[in-house]
Amino acid sequence: MKLSTVILVVGCLSIGLGAVVDAQPPPPPQQDEFVPIDQLPPQDQLPAAPMLVAAYCFVVLALFAYLVSVARRLTGVQRELERLEGDVKRGGSA
Amino acid sequence: MPNWFMPLAVVCGLMFATAPILIANAPYESTMGLVQKIFYVHLPSAWMFLVGAIVCGIASVRFLFRGDPRQDRLAWAAAELVVLFGAITLVTGPLWARKAWGVWWQWDVRLTSSLMGWMVAVAYLLLRKYGGPGSDKLAAGLALFGMANVPFVYISVNYWRTIHPTTNVVPTLPTSFGLPLWFSAVTFLLLFILLLRMRVRLEEQRARVDALYLSMDA
Amino acid sequence: MFGQIVWLVLRKDFTIEVRSLEIAYTTLFFAISCVLVFAFALVQEGRAPEGGAAGILWIAIAFAGTLALGRTFERERQAETLRALLLAPAARPAVYVGKLLGIVLLLTAAEFVLVPLVALLFQAPLFAHPIWLALILLTGTIGFAAVGTLFAAMLVRARSRDVLLPVLLYPITVPVIIAGVRATSALLAPEVDAGVLQVWLALLVCFDVVFLTLALWTFEPLMTD
Repeated sequence: MKLSTVILVVGCLSIGLGAVVDAQPPPPPQQDEFVPIDQLPPQDQLPAAPMLVAAYCFVVLALFAYLVSVARRLTGVQRELERLEGDVKRGGSA
Repeated sequence: MPNWFMPLAVVCGLMFATAPILIANAPYESTMGLVQKIFYVHLPSAWMFLVGAIVCGIASVRFLFRGDPRQDRLAWAAAELVVLFGAITLVTGPLWARKAWGVWWQWDVRLTSSLMGWMVAVAYLLLRKYGGPGSDKLAAGLALFGMANVPFVYISVNYWRTIHPTTNVVPTLPTSFGLPLWFSAVTFLLLFILLLRMRVRLEEQRARVDALYLSMDA
Repeated sequence: MFGQIVWLVLRKDFTIEVRSLEIAYTTLFFAISCVLVFAFALVQEGRAPEGGAAGILWIAIAFAGTLALGRTFERERQAETLRALLLAPAARPAVYVGKLLGIVLLLTAAEFVLVPLVALLFQAPLFAHPIWLALILLTGTIGFAAVGTLFAAMLVRARSRDVLLPVLLYPITVPVIIAGVRATSALLAPEVDAGVLQVWLALLVCFDVVFLTLALWTFEPLMTD
């Protein structure tokens, strides 16, 4: 996979995730216990939808990116294999 | 590709398409609301992360002690899937945690040991890529240590004080939550098997290319 | 027979090292610089951070250990003595244990200097319970060195071995470092909680057993080539 493509994809993913992260209000002081959401003060209540969407988007993108990566590598090797087999058949060396 | 590949891929694709419907129809969890739905991808990917580490470890043992190159190919493919599903787990988890716990990350046992296991898999891939000749055996040794981490990751949450849910949650899920979860889990498992088979095929083709080069130089 | 080989390997390493003391001095100096860098970076208004001593001690041990491992096996590689060792009619696990003990001794020597230094620079009462501290340091060092010796020996013939050793070593030894730091922190607390301390010590021993077993089991097939 070309380096520029990898950088572009990683950059887009990080900007996307960064946007989600930045859109949140600053985190409250660390809690030690689980506090149910309706007992939190209203200003601490985050909208859940951006998190949910970001999570599912990441899953789909990651799986798709891996699938594409394997497919590309596979076709590359397949091409090289066919080229080599053609060379061997013609009786030549490397 | 073997006969079962395409039919399985079709089934997996269909399941992937219908999973969101099941997930959307699942009831809301009382305390966490909408964000709990991340559970239906977070848990199956975590399971695939651990399963991948075990597959990699067992294949590595068989490669180390019997020298079968097919096991080596399997181990490398499994390691890549460990990195993939581990990354998904480690991203969806904090996205859920930020809403449910109020913090992105906690240094508790489950999260720390999972991150560590993920880094071992990344180290495995770096070793395979940059280690030069002989790195297949070295990586197999590394994978063994990584596999030793897996039971620790799983049971640690039951014995240490942690905010992460324990392993007791899944067996006691009501059906309305359980159905989308197991559907999602089977989908991810099928995807894992398909990706593993594809990746192993890549290694098989690479090995054929190497063999051809060697035969030409002879 | 096993013990004899371990002793012979250990004595060989010790004799070679004592001639120049190269690895001992350089590792020691590196460990001291490490601690000093932390001191300069973390000390604010002339006061060290609370509870920083345990972490800094173990980081210094980990970094110095990685360096010592790399240098020890680099020396073996340059003199091609590793091949000679493997060709010798000696059980491979015995060779491994001999090398392991050498590394443990080297790190222990470094710790003799590091512990007073950290205690001094970070005002940490490390000498309040010397026996417990010695136990923690010993089990932690053995765990770290067990994995480190295996990986360093494995990587001797690999490419990019210098950077790959830390890359491979640190994720695996994280549990040992965490347990070591937590045990040392528990020891440094004004009221030592013996229960907590024993839990972390037990964990350290557990890690040592697991890592040693795995290393002994895999040393033979990994070094066969």
